[in-house]
Amino acid sequence: MRKLAVVVAAAAVLASPLTVTQAAQAADVSNDTTVYAPAPGPTPRVHPMDCAGTTGRMGCGPGWTWRDGWRGWACYAC
Amino acid sequence: MRIPLMPVGIPAATTACALAFGIGSAAADPADYNALLVNPNDVTDSTAYTASAPVQNPNNQQGISAVYTHRDGTRQITETVLVLPDPAAATTAMNSSQNEMASRIANEKTQPVQVGTGATLLTGSSPDGTKSVSVLLFTQGNAATTVEFDGPPADAAPTEFVVDLGQKQDAAIKNALWS
Repeated sequence: MRKLAVVVAAAAVLASPLTVTQAAQAADVSNDTTVYAPAPGPTPRVHPMDCAGTTGRMGCGPGWTWRDGWRGWACYAC
Repeated sequence: MRIPLMPVGIPAATTACALAFGIGSAAADPADYNALLVNPNDVTDSTAYTASAPVQNPNNQQGISAVYTHRDGTRQITETVLVLPDPAAATTAMNSSQNEMASRIANEKTQPVQVGTGATLLTGSSPDGTKSVSVLLFTQGNAATTVEFDGPPADAAPTEFVVDLGQKQDAAIKNALWS
């Protein structure tokens, strides 16, 4: 019985923000059409890595490495 | 440049007949065959390979052969173009070369590739395992071509590179054959 009470209490705590939000939205009857977009987060930056896990030489992308192979100096698959 | 339709050594009467009708050339000028070779630098960074002096009529067969060595000394490309009397003879020569390769390539794998006519790519290693070996064989008209790529055991010539060079080789032969 005690365990059941604890579970119910925890569920109530988790659900409360949702309940409050829903109530707030239901109460919002204004005609304000202004949209508040969320602030943009930091732009993700992609750093391609070569076979050694670095950004690579000569712009070789992930899975590629710069070396002197059959085609001479070029990007080759790892 | 035009590959002689009939290589040197054919009966004189046939040659005379061909000349009378303006077919082929009077004699095979060995220098002409240089145009049948394609320097691998055409498909690389343009400085990777150094060409040896071409060998005219290798093994007493009409045609030309040349070896291109990579600057790192671990890779070598050998091009051989034989000029035969007709396409059937070229196919026979190609099949003969393929049979000869069986004793030179260990763990041989065979795959068809899109180069010239009846192209086959053989890949494997040297019998002692010290190098990778890839051999491209194909015909174009009365020419039979073999391009061998020898390299480090763990760095066989990429198929796309082999095909790329082979297609340029094929284009050079076609150009010489039909232009």
